[in-house]
Amino acid sequence: MSQASIGVASGARDPGFGQATKTFLVRFWRRYPSASVAAVVLIIVVLATIFANVISPFEPNKAYGVRLGGLLEPGKNFGIHLLGTDTLGRDLFTRVLVGGRVSLLIGLIAPTVGITIGALAGITGAYFGGLTDLIIQRITDTLMAIPSLVMAMAITISLGFTLPVVILAIAVGIAPYASRLLRSHALVLRSMQYIEASRAIGATNKRIILRHLVPNSWAPWIVMLAVNIGNAIVIEASLSYLGIGIAPPTSSWGNLLIRAASYFTDNPHLVYAPGLMITIVVLCSNIFGDALRDMLDPRLRGAD
Amino acid sequence: MWKYIIRRLILIVPTVFLAGTLVFCMLRVLPGDIVSTLTSEGGATEESKEKLREELGLNDPMVVQYGKWLWGTVNGNLGYSHYQDRYVSQVVKDKIEATMTLAIFAMVFSLAIAFPMGIVSAVKRGSWWDQGIRIFTALSLAVPSFWLGILLIIFASKVFNWSKPVVYTSFFSDPGSNMAQLFLPILATGITSAAILSRLVRSMMLEVLREDYVRTARAKGLREFLVIMRHTIRNASIPVLTMAGYHFGAILSGVVVIENVFSIPGLGQQILVSIFARDYDMVVGIVVVMTVILAAWILVIDLLYSVVDPRIRYS
Repeated sequence: MSQASIGVASGARDPGFGQATKTFLVRFWRRYPSASVAAVVLIIVVLATIFANVISPFEPNKAYGVRLGGLLEPGKNFGIHLLGTDTLGRDLFTRVLVGGRVSLLIGLIAPTVGITIGALAGITGAYFGGLTDLIIQRITDTLMAIPSLVMAMAITISLGFTLPVVILAIAVGIAPYASRLLRSHALVLRSMQYIEASRAIGATNKRIILRHLVPNSWAPWIVMLAVNIGNAIVIEASLSYLGIGIAPPTSSWGNLLIRAASYFTDNPHLVYAPGLMITIVVLCSNIFGDALRDMLDPRLRGAD
Repeated sequence: MWKYIIRRLILIVPTVFLAGTLVFCMLRVLPGDIVSTLTSEGGATEESKEKLREELGLNDPMVVQYGKWLWGTVNGNLGYSHYQDRYVSQVVKDKIEATMTLAIFAMVFSLAIAFPMGIVSAVKRGSWWDQGIRIFTALSLAVPSFWLGILLIIFASKVFNWSKPVVYTSFFSDPGSNMAQLFLPILATGITSAAILSRLVRSMMLEVLREDYVRTARAKGLREFLVIMRHTIRNASIPVLTMAGYHFGAILSGVVVIENVFSIPGLGQQILVSIFARDYDMVVGIVVVMTVILAAWILVIDLLYSVVDPRIRYS
């Protein structure tokens, strides 16, 4: 009997897992309608950037003859340039879609890296206390004392304008904040009974940190991630706009605007689309992040 | 009080020292140096380049270069910009005014709209006002400031036939035209901070409005206006001030970008030029100055606590 019921719970015929996901989604939708809409928009944008070459007949880095064509400019040989063309005659719509790949990738990876590094540092500091904690806190304070964009500028300029470097540059700006938050979280966890128990049975420091403290800090970790995605996209765009982010011809929403900047009073159509995409994505990820925080952090519930 | 200020001032030193050292080391990793920038017009032989490097001390071991820099900085000499052929401190002195005017006014602007928005939003919670303000803040948080700056330039040039001023007018010589020049940049820089701060004002107000002393004030028949003005705002503003202190770093980051969008001759424009010219001393100098400004600002904000809340004493 007991065998049978276990079989049903995890069995293939039973809708168990699918049903649970469905219930969760329905509940989420009822409770956070705007966050659900935001999530759908984000998914659409992500899919659109991934399948850019299916959606658009044009290639991102190829010139099509018509230079600085306005909105809905007909193509020279085929198609319509929905958002017009840039100074070299490349299709702006395609470039915006393809540019989204880099921006979204950075928006996701940079905070993940930054928060993970910061979290490990903060948790380690909180667990050991004393001198280790003091040193880690000093480093955190120093990083917070330099305006993050200036720090990022110094990093990209010294290590090059490539994707990993830009990710590192943005991560360094986010890490100290994660370190602070996760440190205070770990300080509470440290005095919990189960930590004491595992120490009593002879668990090593490494084991306690990696098997107990880190896994129990997932909620603030994921909330910080959701809140920082928009932040990272904006920093990347600012760096690229200044010419010290991802180097062309790879397009990102930020560096589409560098070239646009010198032509913008006469050709404002070059400016609208990339900036609007950043705004939409950042807005949606912030709304989604707020709902996530609301859901995972009961103390903040109803405060906002 | 004075003891507290002095102790805080002393604590700034290690932070600035570490920040300067960090950026100093990072820039030394760079391929290429100031000599390749200075001789980029061609005509220089390898020999003369090498001689120039020797003269400028670029061939010294890194420890020696670092020692020189540290000794200079401790003595208040931020180094010499070979690219501009001037002392770094002179250039900083020329450029710091535009940056500080922009940053301070952006901060003031964001506080000036954050408080009314946050208060209205909290007091009229759930109303159309609240909804409108929340939509506005969500949007302001999402718009990248440099893009907003570009949009403002396009808008102002189409509608008012406005164009970027060629010469920067100092605030002290002509406040009126300075503000006319900086109005749009201030708007573009301050709006994100205004949104962040107004959200904080709102949630703090909501928290304080639940307190017993607010109920007492209402119970004794005090007008709602006075309850808000006298009892709620003051108590809600301490965390907002703390945030405003740390948030100045974000404003400085914003200023660096906005100066480049609006061609304002400040430290932000200078640091970008210097970075591309591999003008190390200048870059490190500006970072050190910005770190000092940020630390000083946080200290000033911390001192303001006692003005807002007389119970706070410094020891």
